[in-house]
Amino acid sequence: MSPVLIFAGNDYLTQIVTRILVYGILVLSVEMSWGQTGIFTFGQAALFGVGGYATGLIATKANITDIFILIGLALIIGIAIGMLISLFLFSGRRVGELYVALVTLALSYICERLANSWTFLGSGNGVPGIPYPSIFGHSLGSNIQVFYLVLVIFILLMLLCFYIVNSQFGLTMNAVRDDEERAEFFGYKRPRVQIFTFILCAALASIAGCLFAVSEGLVSPSMSGLALSTTTVLWVVLGGRGTLFGPLIAMAVLQIFNTEMQNVLPSLWPILIGIMLLLTMVFLPKGLSSIPNIIKSKREVKTL
Amino acid sequence: MSVKRNLLEVKNVTKKFGSLIAVNNASLHISENEILGLLGPNGSGKSTMLHAICGRNLPTSGEITLFDQEITMKNPTARAAAGMAIKFQLARIYLDKTVRENILISLQAKESFFKQIRSATLKKHEEKIRELATEFQLIDYLHLPAKQLSHGQQQWLEISMAVAVNPVLLLLDEPTAGMSPAERKETAVLIKKASQHAGILIVEHDLDFIKELCDRISVMHYGEIVASGTPQEIESNPKVREVYLTRV
Repeated sequence: MSPVLIFAGNDYLTQIVTRILVYGILVLSVEMSWGQTGIFTFGQAALFGVGGYATGLIATKANITDIFILIGLALIIGIAIGMLISLFLFSGRRVGELYVALVTLALSYICERLANSWTFLGSGNGVPGIPYPSIFGHSLGSNIQVFYLVLVIFILLMLLCFYIVNSQFGLTMNAVRDDEERAEFFGYKRPRVQIFTFILCAALASIAGCLFAVSEGLVSPSMSGLALSTTTVLWVVLGGRGTLFGPLIAMAVLQIFNTEMQNVLPSLWPILIGIMLLLTMVFLPKGLSSIPNIIKSKREVKTL
Repeated sequence: MSVKRNLLEVKNVTKKFGSLIAVNNASLHISENEILGLLGPNGSGKSTMLHAICGRNLPTSGEITLFDQEITMKNPTARAAAGMAIKFQLARIYLDKTVRENILISLQAKESFFKQIRSATLKKHEEKIRELATEFQLIDYLHLPAKQLSHGQQQWLEISMAVAVNPVLLLLDEPTAGMSPAERKETAVLIKKASQHAGILIVEHDLDFIKELCDRISVMHYGEIVASGTPQEIESNPKVREVYLTRV
């Protein structure tokens, strides 16, 4: 089956669910860095794009389809870039959240421009025709098989994040998020905490990018751009910063509506999302997942 | 007779903010197990002095040594590693975290990441946490978020977090601000107990609280240390009476 057929294929739903899982890994990376450690990053889409393009180019130009090799190479490149940026941002004195946001935003912008203009990267067309991946020489031949592959990796990574957040290191991440300076006075090596977390999140985003490439069969400049960067942050804001599941649910719901609404209200839908974001930030600063807690505390006040 | 080692030595520290000289050529020292009170009215430079010692604002000139190791320009993390712990004037604890988590945040600060990641549950250090919480009367609140504690309890929590890591030097910035007289008395006992293992610097503007507690007191005024001595000497010092006591 050629990659073009994937988009025209009849198992449309499989595609959507697979994409939700891939974005799930991406949103985990934003939640781990911003939600848990307070690194306000707009750069996850850039690293997502790096992972995707690395996979796309290697798969099409070098004809390598083994998923472990593809993920491994995407990881190496993603981690290397993540390390460079985090060393630049965090190894010195404390920098503000806005500074981090601007630098990572610029990174996304650069990546999108580069993908758009560099012919090696396919310019505006991106890299089409990425073949199905293979595992141990056995080629996956359908969307549903790719879906199972993505599902397994998603579950493994989610368990990993869940484990880290609930370990003592999770508390360290939160200590840095809630008061960087205080954490330093306790003796935390704040730069190392931030660099370690950023690299971990770069790894997550590049794995997501790799899976995006093999499941969609196409990578394009928009996957590393400002729009996706902003969207990832939006998922975390809507779902609730500091919770692992809130952003995942927000992303899934938005993705499901996305495809429908883009057909029904193509011009109004982005505006609606913007309004939703504003309302959430003003009235529910801790996201939609904080609603149960708010109801609970209102009830407690009433019983008093 | 055992000779007590000099723990903290602050020599000729000056801190300028533009043309304003907040601390002018000030020196002090603390020996092991000694409690030093740094007294002065608001704006006398005692907070700036404390910030120079803890590494929050580096001094313009001068030298600070801890156990003969120069730390003048070291960052707070390095100072914590050298055995310094601090309680800020307004309790800087993690309000959304529980009391147990707060104490654990302090206890695990110097552990390696891999050790932290390997420890899947937060049950580690439980014994030490319970011991501290009992001492600081927080044992019934271990599971509560710190923001639900009373003002005095929050101060105690921060002191317990500072004491948790067995520091050699403990810096306390107005440890009893906003406490009831009973809580103050209790705090004095806790500080006295902590001094068995550490040298302590208390920054205060209230002479009554520290004259009972401190071995020595230094008085600051307009950025300079105008008097140093035992509480009795300080109380009877005419210069101190003139610049400080009469204004209270």
